[in-house]
Amino acid sequence: MAGEVLLEVGIALTALAIGGTLAVRANQSVIPMYILVGILVGPNVPTHLGPIPLTLVESHEFIDVLAELGIVLLLFFLGLEFNIERLVDGWNQLVGIGSVDFVVNFGVGVVLGFVFGFSPIETLFFAGIVYISSSAVITKSLIERGWIANPESEAILGTLVFEDILIAVYLALLSAVALGGGGLETAAVSVGVAFAFLGGLTLLAFYGTQYVERLFAVDSDELFLLRVLGVTTLVGGAALALGVSEAVAAFFVGTAFSTTGHTNRIERVVSPARDLFAAIFFFSIGLTTDVTVIAEVVVLLAVAVVLTTLTKLTSGTVGGRLYGLNRRRSLRVGVGLVPRGEFSLVIAALATSVGTGALGSTIPAFAVGYVLVMSILGTVLMGYTDSVTAYAGGSPTD
Amino acid sequence: MTVYETDVPGVGRKFEYELDGDDRLVVLIHHDGKREVFRRPSADADGTKLFELSDKQAREFGTILEGAYFQPVDLDSVDVPLGESIIEWTDLPETSSLVGQTLREAEVRQQTGVSVIAIQRGERTIANPQPEFELEGGDILVTLGTRDEQQALNELISA
Repeated sequence: MAGEVLLEVGIALTALAIGGTLAVRANQSVIPMYILVGILVGPNVPTHLGPIPLTLVESHEFIDVLAELGIVLLLFFLGLEFNIERLVDGWNQLVGIGSVDFVVNFGVGVVLGFVFGFSPIETLFFAGIVYISSSAVITKSLIERGWIANPESEAILGTLVFEDILIAVYLALLSAVALGGGGLETAAVSVGVAFAFLGGLTLLAFYGTQYVERLFAVDSDELFLLRVLGVTTLVGGAALALGVSEAVAAFFVGTAFSTTGHTNRIERVVSPARDLFAAIFFFSIGLTTDVTVIAEVVVLLAVAVVLTTLTKLTSGTVGGRLYGLNRRRSLRVGVGLVPRGEFSLVIAALATSVGTGALGSTIPAFAVGYVLVMSILGTVLMGYTDSVTAYAGGSPTD
Repeated sequence: MTVYETDVPGVGRKFEYELDGDDRLVVLIHHDGKREVFRRPSADADGTKLFELSDKQAREFGTILEGAYFQPVDLDSVDVPLGESIIEWTDLPETSSLVGQTLREAEVRQQTGVSVIAIQRGERTIANPQPEFELEGGDILVTLGTRDEQQALNELISA
């Protein structure tokens, strides 16, 4: 039995390594490739390529646990990089650009949800998936394109920070309602429990800085890693047991660390663990994806891809103007925000765990197809923007 | 000179260093220590990546920029037309045949080509010694001359 599990994990990791290498060769983000690898070796169609059987990973309880760690660590790092001082500094500009981004893109999600006949709760999930840009894909592209040295990168990163705060609140609310299930009263109770739990965590994060500082002051990197992973997973697990999103709990654990002197060490020591588990998370998303269901949502997918690309372009350009950038750079802000990725999938994973109606299959399948298209489309568009602006280089001040 | 510092979430820190006018050097320090250096010639221009260094390389390169290894002298203010000549400090050992001779008798200038510009004797420095100056063991001769001339002095002293 142990041998089988080990073999499956081995297949998963090797497939991820090969897929990741191919993605890097093709100058693409690794996230869509990890999902594709999962789809390919998973139990759903395609099950074979001609005569070659492809269903290599069939039971994936163990992989699910590792994937769960991936979600927890993704959100933990989100919290870690959540810096109150930075927020307060640029708050005025952030609110403008972030609000435009939210209203336009979440708005188009809500409209699309209703047009395609989703229930209110399903629509909320759907809108979240199309709203949130991918920090991982975008930050990496900004560095690769060299945009990171330009003023538009600050507007883009600022918008991402705003989205991250919103998504933490949004996930907390959504998971409380969705995991609580049932009527309005139970929903209210679970929202109450969630916010009491998260409120406690926030107070701890706020007043406990010195304790966190001391508790994690240890010379050995190994013990440091274990302490961080231990505490984060423990809090995440406890939250889940109480019916609160483990992802949001991990976010708050991350914020508790953000004001300590440990942040650099966490980036150095813990991020390899995050990258490993996050890769397995994307892989497991692929595993559970039934390509035939994606085919069923192809109309919704096509409409969503076109509309939400346009809305991000619009909101980003308007936001860039509000931020005081020229037209060319404002357009880049829009293009830069097009890629969607890990957080859309975190929302989809939450939808899967609810497992009723469209949340069980349609919306997760949509999310996978959507992230596949948007993460690639976004990075490709950034390349085109480069050549377009180089071509129009005569008057860069326009 | 102004340095602008910004956090880049998930990446590290970005520093913008103002050169002349709008010209800026942009340094991105990654959490893993990697440094990327861009240059942005004007507010409207895009940054171009100049180079990338590891943490260790950046520290070493930084000390070179800082002038820790070599500091160029402002050549306009140096007003010593030495040409090919150098100034050397040469010990006169007790065993040298020059001990007890005056500078005139020793014919240092005629035999080697160096000019004796000073003699250090213990705590004292005798600048511009006269031909009657008598050399003693342990004196230090401060001489001006080419490398060849200085070499000839060394040979005369040890003769």
